[in-house]
Amino acid sequence: MTMTTTLQWPLVSQNELDFDFLAFGMGHAGDFGLGLALARPERKTIVLKGDGGLLMCLGSLVTMGRYAPGNLLVLLMENRSYEMVGAQPLPPRADFTALARAAGFEGGGATGKGKVERITTLEAFEKALPRLLTEEGPHFAVVPITNKDPLPPVSHTDHAGRIRKLRKGLGLE
Amino acid sequence: MANGLISSVKEKELRKARGITTHRKESALSERGASAAKTLAAIKALGFTHVLMLPDGESRLLYQAIGDDPDIHLITPCREGESIAIAAGLWTGGRKPLIVIQNTGLMEAGDALRGCGMGPKVPLRLVVGWRGYGSAQAGRMPIDSAYTYTEPLLSAWGILYWRIMGDEDLPMLERMDRTAAETSLPAAVVTGYAFRP
Repeated sequence: MTMTTTLQWPLVSQNELDFDFLAFGMGHAGDFGLGLALARPERKTIVLKGDGGLLMCLGSLVTMGRYAPGNLLVLLMENRSYEMVGAQPLPPRADFTALARAAGFEGGGATGKGKVERITTLEAFEKALPRLLTEEGPHFAVVPITNKDPLPPVSHTDHAGRIRKLRKGLGLE
Repeated sequence: MANGLISSVKEKELRKARGITTHRKESALSERGASAAKTLAAIKALGFTHVLMLPDGESRLLYQAIGDDPDIHLITPCREGESIAIAAGLWTGGRKPLIVIQNTGLMEAGDALRGCGMGPKVPLRLVVGWRGYGSAQAGRMPIDSAYTYTEPLLSAWGILYWRIMGDEDLPMLERMDRTAAETSLPAAVVTGYAFRP
């Protein structure tokens, strides 16, 4: 997960397999998730990625459209802004679902079964989630979101420790 | 004179300003550039599972050799920063990736390398194509600043690196690999010439 998500996710989950990507290279959470999914095909890799972050690395959609394995699920948190640094608006006409499709994600990935969708309500997300977690992908789902609560403060510092916690959770250290 | 429009004195000053120096004398017995086939063999011997690589003029034969090999997974991203982050994810998941990158791509990938390599102490292994080195050694002015900044950039990031100028230098791959493992930090080799068959 990246940026704003990394501040809010710990409020609801503290699993050792959670991994925040706050300071790990701007825009590259999806790329890291792609590598992790390729390395661990027996597990589901879920990327919680912001739309602003995607704009920093749009080419990664094309790379995923070619290589993403069936166990990769990308949830694009679409708030149309750089929320964490002041909620400055994103380019208003960018269509992330269309971008993913045009990048070859739909019907693509390593399986040739890539799926792109837009999930617009919480009810629809709750209904879709079991399918997204079990069905062979890769999946790219755009999820429009809004947030009215103040963001928790940034407190992450131990980058090396967090990545090793994840490796430990995967049985590697 | 490399450039007929400037005097030898001026050229000397420019070469100094742009960091063009004559490096250690290369073996007269060796051909310039490492063999792509021998480099691939060394990569496989070190147990690399994936190669992240964008093709460039100097590495195209290595790219072809890796792409033709059934035992190595070749991933070609759209930009070099992706290579770094994908490699970090592969390593985190227990695989052993190698990043092959031209110096220009290395410069593009700076934030990814900082964020996914040095910061979290991920032992990324890099082969960096040193575009401009051959021209500089031949006494010609580099076409741009990529040559000049390659070594200073690696040094500024604290990335230990070794040079591969021919087949006799291929053991440096093992040294780079071992150093990355021992330091848990990125390490690199730089290749000065285009890969040969």
